[in-house]
Amino acid sequence: MDVLVIRLRTVGRLAAFGGIVAMLTSTPAAQPAPGAIVRPLSPRNANYTITARLEPATRTITGNARIVWRNITSTTATELQFHLYWNAWKNMKSTFMRERVLSGFRNDENRPANDWSNIDVTAVRLMAPSSADLTASQHFITPDDDNADDQTVMAIPLPMPVGPGGEVTVELTWTAHVPRTFARTGAIGNFFFIAQWFPKLGVLQQDGWNTHQFHAGTEFFSDYGSYDVSLSVPQRWIVGATGLQRERRDNADGTTTHRYYQDDVHDFTWTTSPDFVERTARFEHPTLPAVDMRLLLQPEHVSQADRHFNATRTTLKYYGEWFGAYPYGHITVVDPAFQSGAGGMEYPTLFTAGTRWLAPAHVTTPEGVTVHEAGHQFWYGIVGNNEFEDAWMDEGFNTFSTARAVAQDYDPNYLALRYFGGFVPWVFKDIPLPRETEGNGLAGYRRTAKSDVQATPTFRYFPSTGGNITYNKTGLWLNTLERWLGWPTLQRIMSTHFDRWKFKHPKPSDFFAIANEASGRDLAWFFDRVYRSADVFDYGVDELNTEPVQSGFRSTVIARRYGEATFPVDVRVTFDDGEQVTEHWDGADRWKLYSYVRPASVVSAEVDPDHVLLLDINYTNNSKTLEPATTKAATKWSLKWMVWLQDCLLSWAALV
Amino acid sequence: MTIGASWRDGARRVNHAGIVLVGVWLMTILISVPMALVLHGMIAQHLGDSLAADSAASGANYEWMQEFADQASGVGVTFKPTIIGFGAVLDNLSAFLDASRRPLVVGAVAAVYVGLWLFVAGGVIDRLARGRVVGASGFFAASGVYFWRFLRLGILQLAVYWLLFGSAHAFLFDRVYRRTTHDMNVEREAFAVRVALYVIFAVLVGAANLIFDYAKIRAVVEDRRSMLSALGAAMRFVGRNGAALGLYIVNVIVFLLCVAAYALVAPGARGSGTAAWIGFSIGQAYILVRLWIKLVFWASETSLFQARLAHAGYVAAPVPTWPDSPSAEAIAQTSASL
Repeated sequence: MDVLVIRLRTVGRLAAFGGIVAMLTSTPAAQPAPGAIVRPLSPRNANYTITARLEPATRTITGNARIVWRNITSTTATELQFHLYWNAWKNMKSTFMRERVLSGFRNDENRPANDWSNIDVTAVRLMAPSSADLTASQHFITPDDDNADDQTVMAIPLPMPVGPGGEVTVELTWTAHVPRTFARTGAIGNFFFIAQWFPKLGVLQQDGWNTHQFHAGTEFFSDYGSYDVSLSVPQRWIVGATGLQRERRDNADGTTTHRYYQDDVHDFTWTTSPDFVERTARFEHPTLPAVDMRLLLQPEHVSQADRHFNATRTTLKYYGEWFGAYPYGHITVVDPAFQSGAGGMEYPTLFTAGTRWLAPAHVTTPEGVTVHEAGHQFWYGIVGNNEFEDAWMDEGFNTFSTARAVAQDYDPNYLALRYFGGFVPWVFKDIPLPRETEGNGLAGYRRTAKSDVQATPTFRYFPSTGGNITYNKTGLWLNTLERWLGWPTLQRIMSTHFDRWKFKHPKPSDFFAIANEASGRDLAWFFDRVYRSADVFDYGVDELNTEPVQSGFRSTVIARRYGEATFPVDVRVTFDDGEQVTEHWDGADRWKLYSYVRPASVVSAEVDPDHVLLLDINYTNNSKTLEPATTKAATKWSLKWMVWLQDCLLSWAALV
Repeated sequence: MTIGASWRDGARRVNHAGIVLVGVWLMTILISVPMALVLHGMIAQHLGDSLAADSAASGANYEWMQEFADQASGVGVTFKPTIIGFGAVLDNLSAFLDASRRPLVVGAVAAVYVGLWLFVAGGVIDRLARGRVVGASGFFAASGVYFWRFLRLGILQLAVYWLLFGSAHAFLFDRVYRRTTHDMNVEREAFAVRVALYVIFAVLVGAANLIFDYAKIRAVVEDRRSMLSALGAAMRFVGRNGAALGLYIVNVIVFLLCVAAYALVAPGARGSGTAAWIGFSIGQAYILVRLWIKLVFWASETSLFQARLAHAGYVAAPVPTWPDSPSAEAIAQTSASL
């Protein structure tokens, strides 16, 4: 054993010496270049080299992209399909704008011409394996509807098919007009947030291209690859982008070209403004890789820098510990300008937060949105599901994860309402916001619980209510699973899903299979109810009675299932001697009678007393007591309301 | 008489007319109690025998409040967390300045309340102008006499405030604010614009309010029958007496101080039973102070007007005995002849 130790020590010394020599002799070229990941994490089958130039005065972008695409399916591609997202904001005729009207946006028609956008592909050239000008062959397709006016998907037939494993290189040139913000993309003043801005390939799957039109209620889907992007903007303007800056070059025409690079991502987004205040910090953790954080703040929010950094740390820590490590080593947090409409959005290695000038403590602005969007680095960025079809797989997972992470570091946080045009917040310290119901958005779900079946492709959800099904319903059923199965089991399910599907495109069935596998249970019945049905859960206590009998009291409880969906619930009955009886009800029948003859009379009965079933849309009816505090509560709240009413009346009486 | 002296004299007159203050407070209570009882019934019905009532009684059960709000109608739709503590005041001030629409039922109650104030305004100003006890008969006689005049004035007020809260507000906040801030990407700047517009709007409303106040005061003190002439006289008085504006501003400042003080003591949502009643009492103390301030507005303005214009043979106030105004005498003579 001693010999072995000596040998190891010798090896260690040699290694240390070698390391010192390497340090002394190494050149920067020997290190991975910024943004590069030596060992590929993803298939890297859609790689973009882009040069683009922004003219702020005319809000014009001219760009050129050389795209190398490899067919990683076993099917053959006869054409390429590209998203041209900015054409959704060309006029009111696009599918996006038609759906946006359904979401309640009615004033877009009055937008001035400069506030709209477009992207025109001016040249398409096949570069490899052969050379050909494909410009004339580009045409728009509408795979989702028959809207001939929608120009958000472009198809380009290839002169030769690309078989499995085959590769093709094309070069596209385009010009685009930056809109006044639509869907978190656009400009206000000298703040530019440029997302979904270049012709982006759809995803070839076994059954063909998956390239949906742009919809008002859904987001994006694309393959992983490497992005090498050179952006020319006015000198002294600060740029934030996906990846890391590799090069910065001042040009004679008054612009500066910023070159950013990132491997293993499925999108590239950037922002620029002369007004950003830049701050940096670092996330460090005993077992997770360090992450350099870069924050681009609005000057009026400089005092909130630490709040942004700490919230990002919260995400990297808890998501990293629960699901898996953040692998990129850097992250950029963008605090968007007021009224930019760019806040609260995720992009690979970069996200937008969103705060207010007046942001009181113990209210999770900006922390809530920061944790959520940073969390999307995991659910969307690393695990890349199809957001057009299964948005709940990232938004819902992330709603649940956000609420859980926020509860670790920001509990309690309180309700805040805003007054005077939304500028002045007031914190209600009597109302802490619990993770389970508020974090997961129970109120929103309750109002539109039946609006869509979750299994419906997300882009077909009704636009104004789809968010509640995507975000809130998923958050609630995941939290229900956590309470039912226990966190260790759910954590195992989610981390297995994360590990198995990172840098890939999972489908719902993949998650359900992992849930069964990791929990050791068949959860199909649960997913049938929450995923394949719009039925609601509503359990309650219908009757609670007690009457004296010879041996004490005969007490009866009738529990009811008012909703169509079923779930096993406990029924807890409390007697006036303090004894509690907990019954386990499978929840399948419409009602269940419990009868007791005890020395003590019954006091109360509760269905689901521990609130395991967070999807229950009416929790008030879940209990009954023979000693209700109803009058006390009603008196208290009507007195409070009366003062509000009197104050309201006096406001108007002031005019008399 | 200086602004300060007018304000102090006004406060003294209100303090000596405690019964009037109590009367208008009772009026406020009486109009709000039935509505509170309706809400009480709604809450009790929704809670039923649920254990949710326990947490609603001891604190704020936000989940229940949201469930209640989702099914509420009528006054129930106004039952929101904003009613808690100082949030109630912010909610109303904000709604006033933002000209937010209230539910129809609240609007109807407000209309009745404003109508009641129109009715008692003559009696209140008469009492404050005299600075002495007039008795219930004198108070209501004056109220009755001036009600119809103030109703005519009220139509003018309604038209003016309709224009202010409708057209002027829409112009300021839907057009000017939106256009000014459309391309603004700094929140502080947009907020500054909004505050500036609030000030403009408040000045417009305040100016109208000031003139209508003096129209009522001149109508009572000078026993004017024509409300148009009272309005003209009020405008002349305000125009010639800068102190009228100064006094109004002092009263507004006192109101803001009252609001700020309530922000410090406004009761939260904890407790029930005795705690709820203590909280309610604090709320009523605030309402009483608000009413006191409203009366001081009129009393101090009356005091200023009397000091600047009143003559013993021309207006009623300085004469120490009753009956002293033509209208009062007319009532007395009518009573005597019966």
